[in-house]
Amino acid sequence: MRRFLNLLRLSWIQLTRHRVRSLLTILGVASGMFLFTAVETLQRSLTRATKATAADTTLVVYRENRFCPSTSRLPEHYADEIRRIDGVREVIPVQVVVNHCGASLDVVTFRGVPPEQLKRFAPEIEIMEGSEEAWLERDDGALLGEVFAQRRGLSPGDRFDAAGVTVTVSGVLRSPHVQDNNVAYVKLPFLQQASRAGLGVVTQFNVRVESGDDLKRVSERIDEQFDSGQEPTDTRPEKAFFAETAKELVELIGFTRWLGVGAVVAVAALVANALLLVVRGRVKENAVLRTLGFPSRAIATLVVSEGGMLGLAGGGAGVGLAAAFLQWQSFTMGNEGQTLAVRPDGWVVIVGIGSGLLLGVFSSLWPAYQAIRQPIVHSLRH
Amino acid sequence: MSEWMIQCRGLSKSYRKGATVVTPLEALDLKVPKGEFLALMGPSGSGKTTLLNLLSGIDSPTQGSLVIAGQEIAELSRRQLTAWRARHVGYIFQLYHLVPVLTAFENVELPLLLSEMSKKERHDRVATALELVGLGDRIHHTPTELSGGQEQRVAIARAIVADPPLLVADEPTGDLDRDSATRILDLLRGLTRDYGKTIVMVTHDAKAAAAADRTLHLEKGQLLENPCADF
Repeated sequence: MRRFLNLLRLSWIQLTRHRVRSLLTILGVASGMFLFTAVETLQRSLTRATKATAADTTLVVYRENRFCPSTSRLPEHYADEIRRIDGVREVIPVQVVVNHCGASLDVVTFRGVPPEQLKRFAPEIEIMEGSEEAWLERDDGALLGEVFAQRRGLSPGDRFDAAGVTVTVSGVLRSPHVQDNNVAYVKLPFLQQASRAGLGVVTQFNVRVESGDDLKRVSERIDEQFDSGQEPTDTRPEKAFFAETAKELVELIGFTRWLGVGAVVAVAALVANALLLVVRGRVKENAVLRTLGFPSRAIATLVVSEGGMLGLAGGGAGVGLAAAFLQWQSFTMGNEGQTLAVRPDGWVVIVGIGSGLLLGVFSSLWPAYQAIRQPIVHSLRH
Repeated sequence: MSEWMIQCRGLSKSYRKGATVVTPLEALDLKVPKGEFLALMGPSGSGKTTLLNLLSGIDSPTQGSLVIAGQEIAELSRRQLTAWRARHVGYIFQLYHLVPVLTAFENVELPLLLSEMSKKERHDRVATALELVGLGDRIHHTPTELSGGQEQRVAIARAIVADPPLLVADEPTGDLDRDSATRILDLLRGLTRDYGKTIVMVTHDAKAAAAADRTLHLEKGQLLENPCADF
């Protein structure tokens, strides 16, 4: 162990005393890992938003054959009928107004809900700033999801307008549900009037069922209920609804995986190239070390540990910068009124740094082999 | 225990160069007693460096027997030979071959990095070796901050820090001015006289060879003298 630590120290000295070369390599690795982390964050955010879990108990009732909030119009009184269906715990009518119906990086989504029902429907919502009372007092009051508030730099007392709707911020909320953190909750009648949808008309119903096992049965029951009505419905679990509604977004994000693969290959090639150059520049130096009694595996360890350190440093820098940047920018991708918060989590950071380290190690295996394959006598004549 | 540090009999080395077989060393017999300072002279291509490489264990003979400090070198595997080299041989190069980014201290410390010595023990050994070559005040200097003579003294400190019984030196004064060369030769003589080291030095310089206890001449891979006749 002591010998291994001594070799690590020697590699560290080599890196720190060839500062320009090391920094340039680390910069290159960091750039690749920045891209990798951004892509991985997108993929993880998408998985979180679309992958159903046993804990999911929310259904979304939408107008059949409609894909945009502006075209989905359902009578508000459907809520009473849905509430009577066996297995339904709570239902809330929601009017959705977005500033952009297509794919966008900066979506503003208003959700108009009956104010007295919000806490009942979503008791997990926590008010971080301002108060619910302030929201109830003002007609144009809005409770902003914390990601949305952070992205727009808004706090209680501020006014802003989007999609032709002007509101005053009453509070900032936090919810375990990603979608809630990216929207502005306003009062239903206010939004119905402000958006000219008209009183009594909503975009969708969000339905909480008693158990995740009931999702399929309840959704079929809801659609059967309104099948013969003037406004037939299409009911799906919230995450499936997101996956279907934001299909184009999902495909687009799916494609970015190849960018991540490209970033990984670029990092591997960069580290391998840098270390090959290092090894070629140190042919005689390595031969001298072998003459002094360094076995081949010690020389290989020196090369591989340099690769590992470069990968780790570059990976750490790239992942750290990407995570900080994405956290700071609070990007939200949206399509058809559905929002996807692009936020890094601990897993992405761990995977990114681990990938940097592994890429550095694996990329240096060939250079390490090159460093030990020549007989000492040949290398000394180099 | 044998009085001989080096005993070789019928030692040959040949290798392929394209279609031809080159034999830089052929059926060489040599005995070197412990504590002797031996100089090897000869024209370029006479096999001096090849012999030095074989004696230091960085190359293997094609034929013959080579026993150093009682160990038949041919019997050792590659891994064993590396470990043996670390304990028994110190190599001094003509162009010093110090690692440029390391300080004098760190360069001398290199052979000890793969031992199980504690940091303190390593530190003491390196400091002693550098004191011995008269560079105790230059330990934090890098090779670019040292003169050629000082670099060679660092290289000698690196060669002796693990306390090997045999030192091989490939034209250690070949790149130095006369004053520096004299200091290096005095140092090598001191290592033989005071510490009982056996030294085999290749040189083109008759003045340098005069510092040795004995001088042998190589030509076309064979010794001109009968080195075993004196013993």
